[in-house]
Amino acid sequence: MKDILPQLNDFDRRAFVAASARMAFGVGLLPALESAVAAAPEATGGKAKRLVYLFMAGAMSHLDTFDLKPGHENQGETRPIATSVPGMQVSHFLPMLSQHFDKLTVIRSMNTPTGAHLPGEYLMRTSYEQIATTQHPTIGPWIQRLKGRQNRTLPDTVLISTPVTHPGAGFMEPAYSPLPIGDPNRGLENTKSPTEVTDREFDRRMSLVNRFNLQFRRKFKSQDVQAYSDFYGQTIDMLASEEFRAFDLNLESEEDRDRYGRNQFGQGCLLARRLIENNVRCVEVSFDGWDMHRDIYSGELLPARTRVMDRAVSNLLTDLSTKGLLDETLVVLATEFGRSPVMNENAGRDHHPAAYSICLAGGGIAGGRYYGKSDAAAHRVDEDGVLPADLNATIATALGLPLTTTIMSPDGRPFKVAHDGVPIAAIL
Amino acid sequence: MSVRRCNGSAGHLRRFIVFRMSVVALTVAAWSVPYGIEAAPPEHGPDHPPQDSQLPDRFVVKSSPVDPARIQQVSASAQEIDRLVNLNLMKHGIQPNPDVTDEQFVRRIYLDITGTIPSYQQTREFLDSRHPDRRQALIDELLGSDGYASHYFNYWADVLRYIDYLTRNVWGEPYRQWIKQSLAENKPWDRIVSEMITAEGRVWDDPAAGYFQRDAGMPLDNMSNTVRVFLGTQIGCAQCHDHPFDRWTQQEFYQMTAFTYSMVTRAHPRDERFYTTDPVTRLTEEYFVSNPPQETRQTNYLRMREIIGANMNLVNDQIGRELRLPHDYAYSNGKPHQVIKPQTMLGKPADLAPGEPPRRAFARWLTSKDNPRFALVIANRLWKQAFGRGQIEPVDDLTDETVAENPELMVFLEAEMKRLNFDMKEYLRILFNTQAYQRQASTENVTAADQYHFPGPLLRRMTAEQVWDSLLTLALVDPYRFRELPSTKRSELLTADLNTATPESILAAADSYVKNVSRKQGEREKPYRYRGVLMGRASELPSPVEAGHFLRTFGQSDRQLISASSQAASVPQVLYLFNGPLAQLILEKGSALNQNLAQTHTAEEAAQTIFLSILNRLPDPDETRLTVDEITQTEAASYGNVIWALLNTHEFLFIQ
Repeated sequence: MKDILPQLNDFDRRAFVAASARMAFGVGLLPALESAVAAAPEATGGKAKRLVYLFMAGAMSHLDTFDLKPGHENQGETRPIATSVPGMQVSHFLPMLSQHFDKLTVIRSMNTPTGAHLPGEYLMRTSYEQIATTQHPTIGPWIQRLKGRQNRTLPDTVLISTPVTHPGAGFMEPAYSPLPIGDPNRGLENTKSPTEVTDREFDRRMSLVNRFNLQFRRKFKSQDVQAYSDFYGQTIDMLASEEFRAFDLNLESEEDRDRYGRNQFGQGCLLARRLIENNVRCVEVSFDGWDMHRDIYSGELLPARTRVMDRAVSNLLTDLSTKGLLDETLVVLATEFGRSPVMNENAGRDHHPAAYSICLAGGGIAGGRYYGKSDAAAHRVDEDGVLPADLNATIATALGLPLTTTIMSPDGRPFKVAHDGVPIAAIL
Repeated sequence: MSVRRCNGSAGHLRRFIVFRMSVVALTVAAWSVPYGIEAAPPEHGPDHPPQDSQLPDRFVVKSSPVDPARIQQVSASAQEIDRLVNLNLMKHGIQPNPDVTDEQFVRRIYLDITGTIPSYQQTREFLDSRHPDRRQALIDELLGSDGYASHYFNYWADVLRYIDYLTRNVWGEPYRQWIKQSLAENKPWDRIVSEMITAEGRVWDDPAAGYFQRDAGMPLDNMSNTVRVFLGTQIGCAQCHDHPFDRWTQQEFYQMTAFTYSMVTRAHPRDERFYTTDPVTRLTEEYFVSNPPQETRQTNYLRMREIIGANMNLVNDQIGRELRLPHDYAYSNGKPHQVIKPQTMLGKPADLAPGEPPRRAFARWLTSKDNPRFALVIANRLWKQAFGRGQIEPVDDLTDETVAENPELMVFLEAEMKRLNFDMKEYLRILFNTQAYQRQASTENVTAADQYHFPGPLLRRMTAEQVWDSLLTLALVDPYRFRELPSTKRSELLTADLNTATPESILAAADSYVKNVSRKQGEREKPYRYRGVLMGRASELPSPVEAGHFLRTFGQSDRQLISASSQAASVPQVLYLFNGPLAQLILEKGSALNQNLAQTHTAEEAAQTIFLSILNRLPDPDETRLTVDEITQTEAASYGNVIWALLNTHEFLFIQ
């Protein structure tokens, strides 16, 4: 082994190191990943190839963003402004997005059975109610499972700024797990050794790890232990390929970084664009702080959140469109539920699962239209109600995923990508 | 105050000298170990007492030991648990796991009580002991150590969603330090909870008030959280409509909230119980009448308002403040806007005394031994902490149909919690002394859907805090050296009597605070930073830590939602262990591990020291041979590869 190393050129050597390191962890025994790449079934229907899912955590007020009721006593301080589409209006807190309405479908008839954050987020991301005995997978891992892996080195799904409670791959094997990025400004950290480590030395270290791991890995058959073997394999592959540069925002111009807004969500959206350009299939960016029970119109709450969102999402749509990626990339702006139309005594809005709004753009979704309606008080759904599972069925259909294919969990229970959701044919 | 200043400046001078010395040490050592390593002797012997007087002000808990005289009762209770566990195993035809070795025990018990692996010295000391009661003695010792409060603070901070800024100008430190100290002194659980529910005043007057400040302005959500955390019951759905999966109605939710509804978290400026005149109006007028300089006029005004606001954030009761059903109340048992009276949702009624804030009656009802779920929930939570899984799962979603895995055992555990008057250390002491706990972890894969009958504890990945604190134990000779600033440092400066304060006195306090506290923070933390990362126990770091921090990457919650941490694997975790600053610090010359290695004389001895430090066990003959080969074949820094490799084993991350 030591004799071969110097004869290899740089690329081969890296590949060799990766291969031997992966063997060391028993990662070569990762059937899910390997076979999935080889045997990707043909996608049918669906124009979207990629997905950017933007999640406004804490519950975004529908009345103050996309579902205004001008003249109604519930409206509060938010005023309507015109958009690029005649007849459509949006909150005055979203002036930049108002110019993208030709790309947007706004669903104003979302509703959900739960008014608690964690179960609400869970239902939005998985289409299933949260239960104690299993964890359901989210959309990115579902795409990989149903269409095969798209990217050989980078993970197919990346989560930016999401909470650690994100269900990720749920019960699916670790090979489907998303890669989490805590702070987009910092990107993927610790990709370089702080001291000089030659490939040879790295290889040597890895064979030591392998040997020291033997006893423990033989003894414990736990999935949690196997997961670490798999992630060591993925990490080594990625380091060997150097494709991890896709995560480095320092390679973007200062001007572009400023344009998206120098905040976590703005930079998260820029990173999402960069990853989509680098053939990552699904990127979720989470933006928290929307839980406004008190003083909703005070500077640091609604005005600040919407300002950040407006700028980041608008620039993302502009760039995807300019680069010709928007037709193939579905962008979803979602939240777990709405906020109460009647203001509470603390000048805030409480949880409101009975009606809320979300937006879709790109990926073959028609722009410049509304779907569904809430009543005059923005209180309940008036027509064409959409449940979280229906939204996910719509997203899945846009991505060309079969809604009826059943996947069994390890304990033998059947699950579908959008549960029993019905896609909205009218907007596809 | 002046005396304190006097001492402070002398201390500061000494600190300065130490700091200078550490700079010298650092230049010699090329880089780069915090003075936590450089300045401290390898061990605190009688000749080297820890020199606290040289240290900056630190908040240090005072821990209470367990009572040695009660050990017989502990053994008796432990035996009863074992009888019930074994009976249950027999019923299901399951063999118990083999007993743990001393090596497995010492690692697990340190992690379970103090949240970190033992140091090399602690491991050696235990393994060298031949005392027949050595396990029992170690359990007692650790329950009396500060590590207990550190570890359990991490647990409760996750459950209680503790954050350092409870609201915009309510600082959490007093509450945080009260939680730590309550755990350390082993305040009974019913008293801890009761103090939170009955707290009055500003958070620095009565730190338990932090509990209500965390949910300021959200009385409905707060009740939902209270019932979930302390009674293990989820009524959140009933906030808006009758619960779809459980029996709770929206009216019951409102009746429960009515107990705490008269409590508010801010004082009204015209509340005569607190203020002779409206302090906001008075101070604002006085400020502008004094004609302050134009350039600082607005900023100083805002600073003043912030301090006034902080002093007005005081938990108080407005008796008679009524809770009404929502405007869209849709059920026949009430009308929209109807006033709701407090009523308990389960168990006995609360004994409301006339004139008393209803939350006091609520606190008595909640924490009573008669409450059907209060003792049960804490007994089950702590069982899960020891065994990796609750007798009831999830621990906070009980219904009337809930059945524990081993119902007879659960009955006994709950009865023990009551017999012990909610003494958590004593209860854990019993669990850790059981044979059931002192068995090896199960080797097969157990999913959440599987029945688990406790042939031993579950194999667990360490929590984020346990991984961090264990790496710190390997890196620093005294990992407890960095501590948070005592909360009094801030509150003593910023507390104000708003009836007598003047704009000048408030702004002077603000200046003094900036000068003496906030500007000093960088200097205070600097010696403990390595490659920019603050090297203190997880329980001493900010909450929440920033996104992308080691702790968050390994699954620490952002503290927005109840019990929202995770132990799942990910690529960035692997990268941290490959190349991250903490792994690198352990490889530095001055690290605790390398100092211990400096005392070894042969490669075999070094191999033992490395294994005992990182995995708390001796290497097997194969591992010894491999390690010795590696150490003797490579040139300088010869331990590096072996240390790095062991930190990257699965065995390091898991608790057997």
